[in-house]
Amino acid sequence: MSALAASGTAPGGTTGTVRAWGTARLLAGTGSRRRVDLARHRSVHAPLRSYDAAGLAEAAEAVRLLGRGGAAFPVAVKLRSVAPGPRAQVLVNGSEGEPASGKDRALLRLVPHLVLDGAVLVARALGTGRVTVAVSDAEAHASLDAALHERPDRGSFRLQRHDHGFVGGEVRALARAVSGGPALPPGRRVLPTVQGVDGDPTFASNAETFAQLALLAELGPAAYASVGCAEEPGTTLVTLLGDVPHAGVVEVPTGLPLRALLGEGTGPVLVGGYHGTWLADPSDLVLSRPALRAAGVSLGAAVLARLPHDTCALGEASAVAHWLASESAGQCGPCVFGLPALAAGLDDLARGGDAVACLRSRAAPLPGRGACAHPDGAARFVASALEVLAATGELEVHRRQGQCGRPLRYTLPVVAR
Amino acid sequence: MRLEIDWTRCDGHGLCARLLPERISLDPDGFPVIGDARLDPVADAELLRPARAAAAACPVLALRVERTRPHA
Repeated sequence: MSALAASGTAPGGTTGTVRAWGTARLLAGTGSRRRVDLARHRSVHAPLRSYDAAGLAEAAEAVRLLGRGGAAFPVAVKLRSVAPGPRAQVLVNGSEGEPASGKDRALLRLVPHLVLDGAVLVARALGTGRVTVAVSDAEAHASLDAALHERPDRGSFRLQRHDHGFVGGEVRALARAVSGGPALPPGRRVLPTVQGVDGDPTFASNAETFAQLALLAELGPAAYASVGCAEEPGTTLVTLLGDVPHAGVVEVPTGLPLRALLGEGTGPVLVGGYHGTWLADPSDLVLSRPALRAAGVSLGAAVLARLPHDTCALGEASAVAHWLASESAGQCGPCVFGLPALAAGLDDLARGGDAVACLRSRAAPLPGRGACAHPDGAARFVASALEVLAATGELEVHRRQGQCGRPLRYTLPVVAR
Repeated sequence: MRLEIDWTRCDGHGLCARLLPERISLDPDGFPVIGDARLDPVADAELLRPARAAAAACPVLALRVERTRPHA
């Protein structure tokens, strides 16, 4: 376990740090990136109060807690959708298949007990003792494994390491995989709350959601909501990368202006990660899932990236589009054929082609035409990239010169971990 | 009622677009694009029969006419 003590390495492929700005809640006790073992965890956090399912849903509703995996689904609604009882299951999704994101790995590496406490809290509320924790990062797995060895309630947990890729971390694909099936999203609309792990009613959510629930149970709704903005109180984890003052994972109160996180750069900004939205100027937006959604933007995996001026922006978008195409599970025709077509179209534009209209018409019909939201996210990424790169003149430079003269620096990481 | 496609089954045979052109077209790769998935039993009464025919004709049973669920 000596590797854990030196967990100063940056999460994933991103270079950067893990820190809290303002109130450290999730990251309380981590100091200079120190892993919080059980003894330290118990000295930092008060013991768990017990909640029944209705009480926990009520508390989650009071603080408008939204899932932290990308879909930002209201936690209270999800809690109420799971039939309580010994058959119920809890699934902690720590997959984080997005190469640009490091927040869940940071959380699981540094404060595994907070996530596990949240899972126990939900399991108790639902009257079950069946919790599965699924993770793909090796260090996060080691941290959780060590944490479980410390815990008297480890009998409730099943820890699984997987390497199912981006789409395999989609919650319904993951529920199938941990039940012994293929790591593929099912073709028919089944909700994990009804039919999840082993076909049982399952409360499944992102790792950070469980950590937030543990904090909510510890603090109570009023204290929990004492920081952050009214529409989504509390703190949130964000991964910052590219031309930003402090690259890395940060815990920040919600409601901050995005420019406070992104700094004074002028390059295009990607909000939400590889299923996210490109913006030429995000300066009037604030860090709040409801506020961003109202502006037509999803915070997604909570990645905020600003491209520096010394990289080929079109090349960056193209590299991610190729990665998205390569991560297709290969099940659904529109995704299998559509995503490579989008990536090839971006390559064509980079070489001086003029296929913008064609590319838009390929992206437009993708949403809603797959077993999961992968084609939707890829279409959003490419369509918004086209819009922003046209507005910044990037496309015109490539059309005239067949290049922009800048190298592709891979500010947006695409190499699988 | 609602037109639903199981995309994991659909192979782009394209029969559905021939049998229900009012609602289904094909993309450049031959996969269906549903214009409007809703089928109102009254307003779209004349489409219910061809919709069911299209579903029955799908060689891989990817197309279905489903009852609308509250949260679908």
